[in-house]
Amino acid sequence: MKKDLAKVRNIGISAHIDSGKTTLTERILFYTKRIHAIHEVKGKDGVGATMDSMELERERGITIASAATYCEWNGHEINIIDTPGHVDFTIEVERSLRVLDGAILVLCSVGGVQSQSITVDQQMKRYRVPCMAFINKCDRSGANPKRVVEQLRSKLGHNAVLLQAPIGLESNFAGVIDLIEMRAVYFDGPHGEELRHEDIPDGLLAEVLRLREELIDQASLYSDALTEAILAEKEITPDLIVAGLRNGVLKRRITPVLMGSAYKNKGVQKLLDAVTSLLPCPADVENTALKLDENEAPIILKSTPSEPVVALAFKLEDGPFGQLTYIRVYQGTIAKGTTIVNVRSGRKIKVGRLARMHADQMEDIDAISAGYIGALFGVECASGDTFVSPGLNLAMTSMYVPAPVISLAVVPKDNKAQINMSKALSRFTKEDPTFKCHVDRETNETIIAGMGELHLDVYVERMRREYGAEVATGNPRVAYRETITQRADFNYIHKKQTGGAGQYGRIAGYIEPTSEGDFIFENEIVGGAIPTQYIPACEKGFRQSLEKGPKFEFPITGIKVVINDGAYHAVDSSDMAFQAAARGAFREAYQRARPVVHEPIMKVVVEAPTEFQGPVMALLNQRRGMIVGAQDEGRMCFVEAQVPLAEMFGFSTVLRSATQGKGQFTMEFSLYRQVPNSIAEKIAEEAAARKRNAA
Amino acid sequence: MLKQNLILRNPLRQLGYEDDDIIPVGGFGAVLARAGVGKTALLVQFALNTMLRGRRVLHVSLQDPVAKVDLWYRELFRHLAVQYQVGQIRTLWEEILPLRFIMTFKVEGFSAPRLRERLHDLMAQNIFRPDTIILDGLVFDDASPSVLADLKSMSEDLSLRTWFTVHVHRQVQADADGIPKPLLPADDLFDMAMLLVTEGNEMHIRDLKSGRTPSLHPVLILDPATMLIKENVAVAS
Repeated sequence: MKKDLAKVRNIGISAHIDSGKTTLTERILFYTKRIHAIHEVKGKDGVGATMDSMELERERGITIASAATYCEWNGHEINIIDTPGHVDFTIEVERSLRVLDGAILVLCSVGGVQSQSITVDQQMKRYRVPCMAFINKCDRSGANPKRVVEQLRSKLGHNAVLLQAPIGLESNFAGVIDLIEMRAVYFDGPHGEELRHEDIPDGLLAEVLRLREELIDQASLYSDALTEAILAEKEITPDLIVAGLRNGVLKRRITPVLMGSAYKNKGVQKLLDAVTSLLPCPADVENTALKLDENEAPIILKSTPSEPVVALAFKLEDGPFGQLTYIRVYQGTIAKGTTIVNVRSGRKIKVGRLARMHADQMEDIDAISAGYIGALFGVECASGDTFVSPGLNLAMTSMYVPAPVISLAVVPKDNKAQINMSKALSRFTKEDPTFKCHVDRETNETIIAGMGELHLDVYVERMRREYGAEVATGNPRVAYRETITQRADFNYIHKKQTGGAGQYGRIAGYIEPTSEGDFIFENEIVGGAIPTQYIPACEKGFRQSLEKGPKFEFPITGIKVVINDGAYHAVDSSDMAFQAAARGAFREAYQRARPVVHEPIMKVVVEAPTEFQGPVMALLNQRRGMIVGAQDEGRMCFVEAQVPLAEMFGFSTVLRSATQGKGQFTMEFSLYRQVPNSIAEKIAEEAAARKRNAA
Repeated sequence: MLKQNLILRNPLRQLGYEDDDIIPVGGFGAVLARAGVGKTALLVQFALNTMLRGRRVLHVSLQDPVAKVDLWYRELFRHLAVQYQVGQIRTLWEEILPLRFIMTFKVEGFSAPRLRERLHDLMAQNIFRPDTIILDGLVFDDASPSVLADLKSMSEDLSLRTWFTVHVHRQVQADADGIPKPLLPADDLFDMAMLLVTEGNEMHIRDLKSGRTPSLHPVLILDPATMLIKENVAVAS
């Protein structure tokens, strides 16, 4: 493994579906000699592209989970994270964006900037990932790189700067002109592996000179040396231009544009040259961790190998020899035999086997140092976990895990599916802390719960595809909660003397709403009205009552129970009797405490072209949404609203049709808020119907 | 009851206006100060007071994103509730939140017709109909009289009260009434102007339009710790 951090590139390849992203990756691996044969994406030859290692990916020709692989080019080590192009898999995308330092945005020269490119671009903007664009498929009929560059500027707001000009287009696409070195480049040999440099064809010279002037103009804005050279009319060397461009790229002010056809083996090597010369190395990027001792205050990490270790597990994979954990080391060095700590669990781990991944093949290594990506073998952890040297208490991602807001019953079709489903669920809950599952005690159904409709859909689909677990799903259910709105007293006697040992217990006190926690129990009994040994039984009885409200059958939260009096019987009182008394006392007081239902409210941010602001607001308004604000960002606008989760089912389809496919949204849990009375009545009816059906 | 407490204790009443809105329907008010003195904080308190009285506020910011504007409201509301020892602030906050709408524009993307168009969108769909607009970050320069004239006609048409923040530079001179230069060309359009000045460790609020000579000891000051308006105890007693 190389030790010069300046020669390391951790890059992602992002694009919308079918723009040729996986084909491009495949070619990159071929030219960097990581693979020796080229396979097509859809697996016509029965092998499939190297980066699409999951069955589902190969079958559908899409990339779901980001596989990490590495290659070498011009003495540089390039780690490629193949990011999913589909919007629904954003957890994976966002995790991989966190790990990479630069990105290639692949655009189709026919399709141009499509709505999915907009999504991916916005994700890159959010994580401030410097990027370059590669206009692919220049050999296709209708190819028009000029239009794509215009769209990059107008639709995505990039300062797109062409580094190349095409030589011919569509079926005549022969090669590219390098505007920095001012020469034509052709790609010969059966797989385009031999580069032939020629003079620029005469007919193209005028246009090429104009484009080069534009390029130098832009690069000079970020390089004083280049500006001086221009003013002094000195020779403008390629190095000067590249240095200026690189500065602009690192600041995200310039997006260099290259072009070619990965399928026809043209332009890929020049793209690799640009990756090594223009995209940042790990030391160019500032990474921050969160100090857990100081309320998650950010701290800047030093990408030096000698510092204490900070590393992030960004992806898990099940291999034949156990769990494989992809990690990125941000600070320090993880070497074989060293001890690291998983911050979330506090568990110490002695590092055994370390590997460098090449999609689903691996190569053993001795150490992974700051800035590098590798894999740990046989380490039990969850995705998103941070590993540190003993004594450090830092996390790369927030330790806050929100509670699930939506659930779904999954029923396996047969016994085999049942076994496979268990395996899948155990894996998924490890991969994603927001994904939970449990068995409903009453219906005996397996319930999966997560942060949204799409979130669960993806996992159900993965269960089918990856684990062969055929499952039927029920209707999604929102995680409503109940709480009380006023204080109510109770004084309840539980007395049972119908043969056998008697039961006796009296509990008095009150319940009241609280915002300090889900459940607070206070014992204010003096003088032994209830003996101390029965107090835990009282608390247990109240806790049992909170699992399901008497009317709506949702969990009860935000409640404080205070017991201040009671009575016992020397013979008939028992733990059981006091638990039953507590449950009775709760039932008695609960109805008088004016119970209400709370529903999860999501913070929804819709991003759409400004002309759709009105329709977007109307959509949110129709869904009982409260619009917090609208942000006008020139071409695009952001509308932020708080919308009940129950109203968000199917929103992505409605939004797409209302914005001609140009709108997209993010949704995250915000808070619980009281359900309006009219809706609460409906919910009560549904709860009653469920009860009847269960009976 | 909670709301009533906060409204009655509102020190803005100390400015001596019978009407809680201070400016009439269709009227303009301005808060002038140098950068970082507390113009936004003062206007957010006006807005909170308006919301507590059940009126709707549209906050238009030309400098901050929605999240930051929202944070101003949350923080000041929290300080306000703590200062006046009002409990159950979450319930109260949830109650007044629907009365606020934040709209942000980039300075170069803002124009009166654009704001009118956005407002029309909101009102036509019955999403939000403001009573008061807070316009934070409008640049007062040679071009502003025409923008202000447009806004004035919009305010009158839609029966709105509009408050502006006006950034005053350190070297800016004032006229005889103490009205700083940026406001002078459009002075006639404004019914109210308040100047925020730092005096030692305090920030004083001076009413420039009441006809009174700016006092050295104004009745209201802005507490620099909480950015809340409070009475100047020395003058009040």
